[in-house]
Amino acid sequence: MANFNIDSKKDRTYDAIVIGSGISGGWSAKELTEKGLKTLVLERGRDVQHIKDYPTTNMMPWEFPHREKLPKEITDANPIASRCYNFKESSAHFFVKDNEHPYVQEKPFDWLRGYQVGGKSLLWARQTQRWSKYDFEGPARDKFAVEWPISYDDIAPWYSHVEKFAGITGNKDGLDSLPDGEFLKPHELNCVEKYFKEQVSKQYKDRHIIIGRAAHITDPQQIHLDQGRAKCQHRTICERGCPFGGYFSSNSSTIPWAMKTGNLTLRPHSVVHSIIYDDKKQKASGVRVIDATTNQMMEFYADIIFVNAAALNTNLVLMNSTSSRFPNGLGNDSGVLGKYVAFHNYRASVSGEYEGFLDSTTDGRRPNGGYIPRFRNVYKQETDFLRGYAAGFSAYRQTSNDRSGLGESLKEGLQSTRYGNWGVGSHMMGETIPKESNYVALDKTQKDAWGIPLLNISVDYDDNDEKMIKDYVEQVSEMFTNAGFKNVKAHDGKRNPGNDIHEMGGVRMGKDPKTSLLNKWNQLHTCKNVFVTDGACMTSTSTQNPSLTYMALSARAVDYAVKQMKAKNL
Amino acid sequence: MERRIALKSMALAVGALANLPAWASGWTKESVVQTGFLSADQAKNLTAIVETMIPKTDTPGAGELGVSDFVQKMVKDCYDSKTQTGFASGISNLDEQSVQKFGKSFADSSKDQRLQLLKEFEASSDPTQKGFFSLTKNLTIQGYMTSEYVMTNITHYEMVPARYHGCVPVKK
Ligand SMILES: Cc1cc2nc3c(=O)[nH]c(=O)nc-3n(C[C@H](O)[C@H](O)[C@H](O)COP(=O)(O)OP(=O)(O)OC[C@H]3O[C@@H](n4cnc5c(N)ncnc54)[C@H](O)[C@@H]3O)c2cc1C
Ligand code: SF4
Repeated sequence: MANFNIDSKKDRTYDAIVIGSGISGGWSAKELTEKGLKTLVLERGRDVQHIKDYPTTNMMPWEFPHREKLPKEITDANPIASRCYNFKESSAHFFVKDNEHPYVQEKPFDWLRGYQVGGKSLLWARQTQRWSKYDFEGPARDKFAVEWPISYDDIAPWYSHVEKFAGITGNKDGLDSLPDGEFLKPHELNCVEKYFKEQVSKQYKDRHIIIGRAAHITDPQQIHLDQGRAKCQHRTICERGCPFGGYFSSNSSTIPWAMKTGNLTLRPHSVVHSIIYDDKKQKASGVRVIDATTNQMMEFYADIIFVNAAALNTNLVLMNSTSSRFPNGLGNDSGVLGKYVAFHNYRASVSGEYEGFLDSTTDGRRPNGGYIPRFRNVYKQETDFLRGYAAGFSAYRQTSNDRSGLGESLKEGLQSTRYGNWGVGSHMMGETIPKESNYVALDKTQKDAWGIPLLNISVDYDDNDEKMIKDYVEQVSEMFTNAGFKNVKAHDGKRNPGNDIHEMGGVRMGKDPKTSLLNKWNQLHTCKNVFVTDGACMTSTSTQNPSLTYMALSARAVDYAVKQMKAKNL
Repeated sequence: MERRIALKSMALAVGALANLPAWASGWTKESVVQTGFLSADQAKNLTAIVETMIPKTDTPGAGELGVSDFVQKMVKDCYDSKTQTGFASGISNLDEQSVQKFGKSFADSSKDQRLQLLKEFEASSDPTQKGFFSLTKNLTIQGYMTSEYVMTNITHYEMVPARYHGCVPVKK
């Protein structure tokens, strides 16, 4: 606590503090600063500025000495990060290295993180689907977890709000199980994907194949040009950071936008240790931070605090925020903080081949794929497992070169492309059920380099997940076979929980303070000026990729928080 | 092509390449050449091997395109020590066979003699010779196909395709 006088308390006081600058923190910051609040964003990692700090973005394939493969030294040192499909020579600098930020795996859990300005928004696959009313009604209807305190109608306008700004491509498909949004021009399904769509709709009333909804600007509107972003150029090397701002990231979109208001202070290298609770005022008064460059502890103050450190780190920060009022973690009178963690189940995939359309192929590249919205247990419980799964579906023309022979014959073979059958593939995205036994907690003895307890993760699959995997494999294999696909093969990759990078829960929303931490405004029931709007708040997980929902919840909660602040209720 | 050059110079203008994190500082073109682990003789033979596999015709062969440096770097950086030792002794072994059969180092043998030796390795019942052959051939093909020359002049890699069409006729 030395050097407290480096600047006065006044200089360290803001209207609002946001912890984390990733997808949700970027949105909180944008909304707060636009509403005129002097806002401090605390980010534990380094600064990454749009374009300037994308070192690999314009490198040609041959400029990577290992052509995207990582040296063994790096994969050996990073077994967890290496299990992410996107950890490669061109993008590894945006991933957390295993040994720099250890955690305790009571059960195997791949915790994939990006600690820098922008968080994981630089690395994500940009799939963005809305939840439907059936997703919000799920827990109450099927009797698991706790009831959501909000419905689809509460969040729908906020989906629209964030979609218009972020730029979402998609088709209006008119499905009530996957509501339409504010879409830019859709990407195209290719011939085999369209063929499969027709076959499926002929054979199944309730199943659909659609083009994915993704955070790419296919058709820039004024609001995107105002952000300095341009049309997506189909490079499909997005994980390096996109110099066009073609896809949504905090770095290309929300953070610079917030900066332009003049109300944002962005402080990288600021590891949040805990939130300070003021007993007299009976609310949070600020945040303790360890400066990662000097190791000094310092404090910052604000009227409202948004916790957006990404689901599990948000749990960690709250659990580490103890006081005489909250000895078990901020807002945790109920004892459910850290519990009911859930995730998505991406374990199984199905592949096949199609022998039609042999005179056709695709041209260019598409940063998106096809999507099969959930069709199990949507309107009522009808299988022996709870909830369901969505799936990706994509087709591509297989090409190869003749690699036989040696010398001139080999060279000739390599220089001409041979077309094979079309390949088709699908992967599942299953909903897992939040359970008390899936939890995170502070480790009792081990600490990190900043003296903060390590996070203990105890999260696993259950019987429901195994049944769901089996059903996905059966159903999609059947759909493939019925469509005339050949060589249909299913595969269970047995990936660890967490590898989907959609971890959620631990600080769930709910109606009852006895069984939840947050109310319908993402506000801690018992510490009203602290809001949690990242994945930690999720009561259940649905099958949709989660980040669009975090964005919408963030914007919605800021709107409420600022109104309450102005009404002097916070 | 013009767009590609424009993009490249944009990257240079913002000094992007200088911003690489320390652990990735191996990512410059120069260093590809420097980090060898083979002896000078082995390296010379490796160049002869890749050139034999993909020779110069009216376009450059793998030797001229520096594919042997790529192969060597991949084996050194991305494979375990057992594979590395096997790879180095594979080259020496090939050289010994050449001296025995033709009285000359592999690198000094004629094109046909070199091809013959490689084919014997390919067909060999000895798993280490066969393994050495397929590792080297795979990496040679990878290095050649992803070389700047091939991607620019033969397969016409597009950094910025700016389009996706889901159904176009296959070009004959
Ligand atoms: C390869 C990949 C593919 C993905 N694909 C998709 C997809 O297609 N669709 C989708 O919806 N989602 C996808 N995701 C997930 C998506 O990236 C996350 O859901 C999203 O980034 C979560 O936003 P967030 O704000 O909660 O966390 P993040 O974006 O991770 O940001 C959290 C920030 O908080 C900072 N932080 C953490 N702890 C502290 C602390 N103590 N003090 C200060 N700062 C702290 C971190 O450094 C980080 O910058 C993908 C992720 C990856 C990596
Ligand atoms: S696909 Fe679009 S968003 Fe991705 S890198 Fe290319 S231009 Fe950028």
